[in-house]
Amino acid sequence: MIAGLARPGTSPLHRTAAGTKLAALAIAATTLFFVDDSRLLAVAGAVALALARSTGASFAEIGRDLKGPALVLAVLGLADWWLVDGATALVVVLRLGAIALLAHAVTATTTTAELSEVLERLFAPAERLGLLDAARAALTVTLAMRFVPLIAEEAREIREAQAARGLQGSVLALAVPLLVKVLVRAQDLADAIDARGFPPDRPTSDTEPKTNLRPGSP
Amino acid sequence: MTTRDISHVALMAAVIVALGLVPAIPLAAGVPITLQSMGVMLAGLVLGPKRGAAAVLVVVALVALGLPVLSGGRGGLGVFVGPTAGFLLGWILAAFVAGFLAQVLEATEKSTLVRTVQLTAAAIVGGIVVLYACGILWLAFFVKLGLAKAFMVSIVFVPGDVAKAIAAALITVKVRQAVAIERK
Repeated sequence: MIAGLARPGTSPLHRTAAGTKLAALAIAATTLFFVDDSRLLAVAGAVALALARSTGASFAEIGRDLKGPALVLAVLGLADWWLVDGATALVVVLRLGAIALLAHAVTATTTTAELSEVLERLFAPAERLGLLDAARAALTVTLAMRFVPLIAEEAREIREAQAARGLQGSVLALAVPLLVKVLVRAQDLADAIDARGFPPDRPTSDTEPKTNLRPGSP
Repeated sequence: MTTRDISHVALMAAVIVALGLVPAIPLAAGVPITLQSMGVMLAGLVLGPKRGAAAVLVVVALVALGLPVLSGGRGGLGVFVGPTAGFLLGWILAAFVAGFLAQVLEATEKSTLVRTVQLTAAAIVGGIVVLYACGILWLAFFVKLGLAKAFMVSIVFVPGDVAKAIAAALITVKVRQAVAIERK
């Protein structure tokens, strides 16, 4: 759903500036929260699906990427249908489905480096106030997005290994090795980033050569 | 912050997001019990006050960016004016308090049981007492539910959150035996 999902391409969305896409996503997600009409939400969902499809991803690919959120959505929809009513369930599922598709369209067409640059620009005012270091803050957010699929992947591996040994994993039996493993991987990644000379030095004068290094660049 | 700090903060933020993907158990009126609040406790207990709060801040930033990172695929600026906004913003303080208490309480070497109890207490004060205070005040005054009603609708979740606090403490003790992380 997020991160590590950027696909190369030349679709209109790929060519739109990352900042524009993120601003549009934030506005759309916020607006949809105040829409309670299921017909309007169905239109929004159709538009979102068309946008996700316009990135060049097939319906099958979109379905595969959004399998996790779809499952959550199905459970939530059934719960609302059962505990509240069908109309509420429809509104909730359509709204969240549309937002998930829009977010997918943005993340599928935005590379981590582009995202990092936008975040850095967003954090710049806070940096001028001395609140944070924009480059480091941007790196933290982009790393977090990258870590989500990594955690899911490691969880699956540990569960498979435990099943192979005939172990029935409890929550604790999965959580402890998983957290240890991803913490170690996070440390390794930090060391690798350090080895590449992050953060890039800021040019202090015009004569100083500017580096092309950007946090998150491959 | 060193690059390792950044990486740890990002990782715990990702853990909170990943826990939101675990299918939720629906409870009263469709409000689901999720594991995400356990992620907030874990961030504080494992990383300490400042970095724990920073991890939650990253999650809040992802929500603001419109990404569906909250349980049930919620996200976007709408969440910040919704009924659960107090709980979302309260997470930041919750992780800080849980991390601070963990730092203070678990200062000396003691038995695993004693440390688990200490960390459970830290998780309960931060992740339940402080968090619910934020969430209930928001419900009472911004959603205009009134203090009594806001208290009643929130209190249903306490037993589940106590179980999560115990689990978070158990996980933290074991994880910190395997990986050396300074709380700060």
